[in-house]
Amino acid sequence: MERSFKTEVDALRLGDGEVFRGEGILAVTKALLQSGVSYVGGYQGAPVSHLLDVLVDAEDMMAELGVHLETCTNEASAAAMLGASINYPLRGAVTWKSIVGTNVAADALSNLASPGVIGGVMIILGEDYGEGASVIQERSYAYAMKSSMWLLDPRPGLPTIVRCVEQGFELSEASHAPVMLELRIRACHVTGEFIARDNRPGRYSTLNRLPGPPRFDYARLSHPPVTFIHERLKVEDRMPAAQAFIRQHKLNEIIAGDLDDIGIVVMGGLTNAVLRALERLGLADIFGGSRVPVLVLNVVYPLVPEELTSFCAGKRAVLVVEEGHPEYIEHALNVELRRADLQARVLGKGPLPKAGEYTAEVLLNGLAAFLAEIRPAGLDPEAMAARVREIVGHRSVAAAALGELPARPPAFCTGCPERPVFSAIKLVQREIGPTHISADIGCHSFGTLPPFSLGNSILGYGMSLASAAAVGPNMDRRSIAVMGDGGFWHNGLITGVASTLFNQGDGVLIVMQNGYTSATGQQYMPSSAPSLPSSASGGGTGGGLAPRMDLETTLRAMGVKWLRKVRTYSVAKMMATLRQAMLAGERGLKVIIADGECQLARQRRLRAEEAEQLKRGKRVVRIRYGVDEDICTGDHSCIRLSGCPSLTVKPNPDPLRTDPVTTVIDSCVGCGLCGEVAHAAVLCPSFYRAELIRNPNWRDRAIAALRSRVIALLGGYAPNRTA
Amino acid sequence: MSARPISILIAALGGEGGGVLTDWIIAAAASCDLPVQSTSIPGVAQRTGATTYYIEVYPTPWRELHGKRPVLALAPGIGDVDMVVASEFLEAGRAVAGGFVTPDRTLLIASTHRSHAIAEKMAMADGRFDTGRLMGAVEKNARSHLLLDMDAVARSARAMINSVMLGAVAASGRLPIPAAAFEAAIRAGKSSEANLRGFRAGLEAAERVARSSPPPGWEGSGVGVGRSGASVAHPLDPPTRPFPTRGEEVEKATPQAAAPKAENDRLRDAGGTPALPGNLANEPARFGDAADIVAEGVRRLVAYQDAAYARLYLDRLARIAEADRRAGARGRLTREVARHLALRMSYEDVIRVAEAKIAPARMAGIAAQMSANPDEPVTIVEFLKPGIAEMCSILPPFIARPIIATAERRGWIDKLHWGMEIKTTSVSGYLRLLALARLRRFRPQSFRYQEEQRAIEAWLALIIAAADKSGALALEIAECARLIKGYGDTLKRGAANYAAIERDVIRPTLAGRIPLSRGVDAVASARVAALADPEGEALAKCLAEIAASPLPGAER
Repeated sequence: MERSFKTEVDALRLGDGEVFRGEGILAVTKALLQSGVSYVGGYQGAPVSHLLDVLVDAEDMMAELGVHLETCTNEASAAAMLGASINYPLRGAVTWKSIVGTNVAADALSNLASPGVIGGVMIILGEDYGEGASVIQERSYAYAMKSSMWLLDPRPGLPTIVRCVEQGFELSEASHAPVMLELRIRACHVTGEFIARDNRPGRYSTLNRLPGPPRFDYARLSHPPVTFIHERLKVEDRMPAAQAFIRQHKLNEIIAGDLDDIGIVVMGGLTNAVLRALERLGLADIFGGSRVPVLVLNVVYPLVPEELTSFCAGKRAVLVVEEGHPEYIEHALNVELRRADLQARVLGKGPLPKAGEYTAEVLLNGLAAFLAEIRPAGLDPEAMAARVREIVGHRSVAAAALGELPARPPAFCTGCPERPVFSAIKLVQREIGPTHISADIGCHSFGTLPPFSLGNSILGYGMSLASAAAVGPNMDRRSIAVMGDGGFWHNGLITGVASTLFNQGDGVLIVMQNGYTSATGQQYMPSSAPSLPSSASGGGTGGGLAPRMDLETTLRAMGVKWLRKVRTYSVAKMMATLRQAMLAGERGLKVIIADGECQLARQRRLRAEEAEQLKRGKRVVRIRYGVDEDICTGDHSCIRLSGCPSLTVKPNPDPLRTDPVTTVIDSCVGCGLCGEVAHAAVLCPSFYRAELIRNPNWRDRAIAALRSRVIALLGGYAPNRTA
Repeated sequence: MSARPISILIAALGGEGGGVLTDWIIAAAASCDLPVQSTSIPGVAQRTGATTYYIEVYPTPWRELHGKRPVLALAPGIGDVDMVVASEFLEAGRAVAGGFVTPDRTLLIASTHRSHAIAEKMAMADGRFDTGRLMGAVEKNARSHLLLDMDAVARSARAMINSVMLGAVAASGRLPIPAAAFEAAIRAGKSSEANLRGFRAGLEAAERVARSSPPPGWEGSGVGVGRSGASVAHPLDPPTRPFPTRGEEVEKATPQAAAPKAENDRLRDAGGTPALPGNLANEPARFGDAADIVAEGVRRLVAYQDAAYARLYLDRLARIAEADRRAGARGRLTREVARHLALRMSYEDVIRVAEAKIAPARMAGIAAQMSANPDEPVTIVEFLKPGIAEMCSILPPFIARPIIATAERRGWIDKLHWGMEIKTTSVSGYLRLLALARLRRFRPQSFRYQEEQRAIEAWLALIIAAADKSGALALEIAECARLIKGYGDTLKRGAANYAAIERDVIRPTLAGRIPLSRGVDAVASARVAALADPEGEALAKCLAEIAASPLPGAER
């Protein structure tokens, strides 16, 4: 894994009354242990990867508590694991990135929510929405509504988040429904503190196992005819039970205020931002007191009609601060007020935008617009609006003066094994013309960005091959699907490869075999290196080595006939293989396994090894690439075929030239792509590879001395300075 | 009224340790019993992209709050940020453009070095964003600023930049946290020795900057270099090009940077500065304002070929100086042509490359760059892939012409290349390059030489013809030489683009088929278009537009 969580693991052991300090997502992890979970699992993805990572690092402690940990191969398998709570009083929690993970899990979730649960079930959703998000911008809310699962959206402070996790399990058990807890990106990474409680083992666990299955009960199956009963149970029993629990335990909060003819209904997760905006308008203090009454919905689904109507009674207007589209809460509030025949106006989308993140700027604008519309007694909305215009107007003035700044999107790391594959695709396209490229989720999606700009669609994790299924038959040229090994095991194996083979499809599939799910922090997956203990891959109980599932063997067993494995850095060979795959006469799926370990993971290992070797006086060869600045003419073709962070430009040392020259900076890891590309694309002779031998042995010294002496005799330099 | 939180926005690039920096500030604030909260949006942005971290520190200790909890925000607001800390200068600009730097309250702490974004790097000429523009925006929008090259400080302290940034934060005194608390936070973490070094170096450097104005080391910071933001400078811009400032890029200066193109010991004085041969020494002064460039040109061509070749350069330039006078270009034409002519006459061929590859200064430079100790062997391998064109370029024309004709007819010219990895530090590698370098004296008899001289003469003739009509047009034509550079495909593409511009814009303008004033603009815009994309789409579009625009009197 990219990050070690040893310190965080210690924090997970804190007991009653001790102060936990750390990130939101780790506070959730601690709260799960305080809630007596029997099993946890999930699939990694920002912003919730750390939850699983820290649990993997905390395996010993998990064993002490008897908690079973499963690092699932996708969200569907994680959701299906929750099936344990249908029949048994086992508390369980899983996590994934939403909306995408919830989409993958949806089938299992429907089948889980229909019979309902006995043991409390908690799904931690990393709501990947707004700045920093990497997925489609949709709300998880719709899933809660359609499957009758409850959705918590706690105020982004650690004490509230922890309370919501603990009471969420109780809510789940009280209403027999799964509970989802959504945390936006910043809430996952918010730091803070809360007073910890002792961890407690589950009622049943790996230490205290269940005696056996219950008596056969058809009602626990999501199978007709009981599904018709389940549907009724959801609305007639479970929802009222949940609403009663929410009221009774005051999961939602009310901030009283003196301007009581207006009010704000806010999703819990946006509370701090709304309070800050009110504070900047002089309507709140820094300690959370507000002149405008605020209803904080830590539970955004189900809403509690009595809470809504009692908050709105006697008010002229309320503002619903509900991020994202559609505005489900605003709709529901309107319905409840009509049913109760209350006349408070409901504003939401209108003063606030229909789409996009509710940033500080958006909220200031929205509040000003709301106040200007409603004109509460005793306030001067014009003055406030003017103040907001002045604040917000600064941005456009500052930005206009600067002009458009060059974007700096994420990119392949220095030495990334996936970059050369895109260099090869770009070069082959020059020969055979443009090809349709189905991109996928993973680091390789950076191939869609400059300097490569390769990819025509991204349809989901592991879906690239499947999403090309109808393109190939309708196009003259074969299409290329790019997929990572992470995506392959997540989904691509079945939806892509099996489906293509079954349909005798044609096309090229490039599988990037880098050994980890790298984009999410280098977690292990089924084909990770064989020497990993099962604990690292999350197997948990067995001990020993987890079996490694080999990509090549798997593909051959499935019936792939045309299969090549190419080291990614060999650009010329990759080009030849691609050319062959694209132009081959025979129909059928052609798979190229692009083999190269994630460079981040590799460097972390190598650097430690090299430091150790150097310390012990052992021979170490350091390789880096360079550009001769007086040979480079500043055309930057090499950069357009690479984009490596270590390959950049600097002022031209030649006083006669103005265009900056290319240069290789110290962060170069010597992957060799520069040289390969210079050759494959017939660029320029500027590139060189330099190898430095630290702690040279007698042979190295002798050869170097001999060489420099002979060259000196020929009238040349003494390049190695050993003579 | 109670105090407000102090808000800090950190702008950094993925992999620079912005998260660790945030953690240090959190730990230091917590050790002072101050309420503090941070958030970040790491996700996939940590893969070298731009990212931010946001911190709020409440200046009143918990013990004085008596159980009250300040509500801290998770995201920065426009006009609500006290301190922006940027690890790189474009990112400082991004924070300004985001509206987070305001004149009423924001202290901007930024490193002035540039790490170029991909769009800047991949341009075919110069795509770098104008640093002067960033500086102007910083000065206009920040209440105060603390600017220094933190990358240079980090490198000299052998530390990561995040520790230097923390030092600058401590030096600013804007947070109610003593330096000792930051040091304690560093000590509790990993690599504390290097980080403490970086922290102290950052603290000292920032204090120096804060004390003095303009701060020392300013020149080394790359600030105010004032490069044009446009990818192509207009030739009528002031012709003096500021010599590049060291440290503008994350890069160590190499010893050979200022060395001539090839060794030419005969022409070196005792100090190693290349001198001009006696009979040429007084020549450059004749060119007035252009003297420094002409001197450089002469020096280069003597090293490239010999004194006679430099004499040819001077003779050619004399014709241009004459045209300059006639056109009243006040020496600007001479200066531009002096620069381009020297570059065109020292065109890149295998002989020049071989000479550069075996220059002793190069070996020493690479070894120094790798911080090699004297007893540690350094091996250097070159990546060369000459094709038929390169091979023929050093043959006599009567041999080269039929080979090239055949190769072109059979379609070999773009396909046949010999990929070579030559180990320059080995005896055989050295001998191979030496043999190529020794071909220098046969160069004037080579095919490429003759082709180049013909092309140069044709270009000069166009400039001189243009100068009779307009100095501006002559300058534009001279500047088109910029398109012709590099090797292989790059050279071919550039030469073809130049030929297209000559055919479709320059010659029609000289012939009066395009009105003069429009012709000047047309040459300039075609040149910019030629450098816009390697596929030539922009140039084709530009030339089509020029051809399509109705000419006055075209109906006649």
